[in-house]
Amino acid sequence: MIAGEACETIAGTLVAAATTTKGVRAIEHDGQAIEMPYAWLLSDSLRIAGALQIRGLNPGDRVAIVVPEVAGFVRAFLGITTAGLVPVPLFPPGQAGDVSTFTRQSRDLLIASQASAVVASADVAPLLDLEHASTSGHVCQLLTIDALAEGPALLVPVPVTSDRPALIQFTSGSTAMPKGVVLSHANLHANLSAIAGPAGLAIRPDDVGVSWLPLYHDMGLIGALLTSIYARNDVVIMSPVLFLKRPTAWLDAISRYRGTVSFAPNFAYELCLRRVKPSQIAALDLSSWRVAGCGAEPIRCDTLESFADRFACTGFRASSFVPSYGLAEHSLAVALATGGVNVDTVDSARLVRDSLAVPASNGAANGHAVRLVGCGRPFPGHEVHIEDETGQLLPDRHVGRIVARGPSVMAGYFEDPAATAEALHRGGLETGDLGYIAEGQLFVCGRTKDLIIRNGRKYHPPDLESSIADVDGIRSSNVVVFGISHVNEADQVVAVLEGRASQTSRDIVDQVRRRVRETVGLELDHVLLTPPGTIPRTTSGKVRRSETRARFQAGTLLTGGRISLDAPPGSR
Amino acid sequence: MAGATHNVRVTFSGLAYTSDPVRGGSAPGAEAGSSADRFERDTLDILKRLSRHPIDPGPTSELLADLGFDSLQVLELVGELEDHFNIAVPLNALTHIRTVDQIVAEVRRLVGQQEVAP
Repeated sequence: MIAGEACETIAGTLVAAATTTKGVRAIEHDGQAIEMPYAWLLSDSLRIAGALQIRGLNPGDRVAIVVPEVAGFVRAFLGITTAGLVPVPLFPPGQAGDVSTFTRQSRDLLIASQASAVVASADVAPLLDLEHASTSGHVCQLLTIDALAEGPALLVPVPVTSDRPALIQFTSGSTAMPKGVVLSHANLHANLSAIAGPAGLAIRPDDVGVSWLPLYHDMGLIGALLTSIYARNDVVIMSPVLFLKRPTAWLDAISRYRGTVSFAPNFAYELCLRRVKPSQIAALDLSSWRVAGCGAEPIRCDTLESFADRFACTGFRASSFVPSYGLAEHSLAVALATGGVNVDTVDSARLVRDSLAVPASNGAANGHAVRLVGCGRPFPGHEVHIEDETGQLLPDRHVGRIVARGPSVMAGYFEDPAATAEALHRGGLETGDLGYIAEGQLFVCGRTKDLIIRNGRKYHPPDLESSIADVDGIRSSNVVVFGISHVNEADQVVAVLEGRASQTSRDIVDQVRRRVRETVGLELDHVLLTPPGTIPRTTSGKVRRSETRARFQAGTLLTGGRISLDAPPGSR
Repeated sequence: MAGATHNVRVTFSGLAYTSDPVRGGSAPGAEAGSSADRFERDTLDILKRLSRHPIDPGPTSELLADLGFDSLQVLELVGELEDHFNIAVPLNALTHIRTVDQIVAEVRRLVGQQEVAP
């Protein structure tokens, strides 16, 4: 093994971490803790890698992981990468709807990634549709961790050059048309060293990571697990199910294990405010928490301020907040703001009307002001630009498309040159987000793409539309779903259906809500049943989603009828 | 998170109706009462407490479809049930349970297991 080169692969960082006494503590959904020192994980992954090799898998082959258990996922991931194979993490069942949805979606992702094998836990295996995941000339084998742990062990990780794929992350693109982000070992290494480095979190040897984030998601996998292996630090990784059942479990773990670095989306801080009881707060000591990262969805000042107030008695410091911005196509992080929350209070009317972030005269007291949270500066060796539609650079405080460049930008989408060309052009990554730069800091304030974000999870309108189209009496060509993102609020989700008014209208609306809850676990904020001809279309008959949204927001969608919205204050 | 009730009233072609995100899911003959044991009673109480809307759950009410629970609230419910009945709900149960009576049956089974266990 060539030392310098190997350290830039995931397996190389594990070999280096194995020389320490540090490791991963997995806390499962039932609270059971499993300690896995890096030295043990290295020998375990050499055994798993050997077992994968004798099953005929060759370096570069894709191996999917569908393992809800934390320890099992970590072992599978490291074993696969140690064998020189490409891990493809998939979401487990029970996270995004009913069992049949899981079976269908996981099959589609296995096909899209052309996986040669899938490592699944015993409970999940029967829910996988492998028969149809194996395409012509291509068989997908089912493997379990227990079978793989027998070895025979390899002596060293299979050498891989750093330009080879390290990981395929299916967080981008709809499930109807899945897009797998291909990250090379060099991409990951660039992002990990930026995150951990002096311009990032300035990770120290005694830092302790704590995370409840799913490992099939970039923030949990790269931000918690791989960053900790890279930095050779202890990390506590708990099941997201445990956190969602009992949010206090997250804070308990930080308190008990003296956690110093822990990231979560905005909604997790909200959940703690809503569900951690005063008696539970009294037992916490959060004074060790020096990096309280917040990212993966729009960040609300109110949430961070309320959290800092409520948990001040535990020793939590507001200056620990690290608002962050990133996306899977940029490995993980684009920018992060250490040193606390930097708030920019701007005139909301000018922001919407003129795409200008003009500081509001009367501060937050002004009803037309909106407070945005700064996400810091780009990392060394990386660039973030704000561009207009034509690719021209925009000056400070002008809102435009956020375009990122540098070594963390993905190689492309797996086997999808068209989507890759759309995301990567003029040498930059089209993030699909809107923002501006002020005093060197990046502020994110909207999206150009149709993505809907709720509770840190991303939803694609075509997926919601296709689940609605299953409802009797609705044709897929007569449905439009879109999100309305508010600067400081959770996204609202609107479905517009065309149909004929009849006694069954009410039933159809109920069925639509029901269907979306069942398949994707999402509550629609507004469902509108409208007369035929309401939804704007292209000349070829395709629905125009952005135009539908614009008309809905302007109140001009129903020219013949009236819409009245009886919604709570703040949701417009 | 916008969890409050959003009623949308649409009027066209002389027809007006309100879409309400949540319906009571009580099935015929499902009135809570005489035969309800503590598992059922307590489970229904917890469901009502966690719902963001007034609900009237019956045995066949489906959590996601009828009672308007999102995936986050389902896990909150599991946490509350675990604390209340001092049980541990297995991970794979979450993928199969849909209705209120399935929840009650699972709670009853898990409490039974606990009482039998040494």
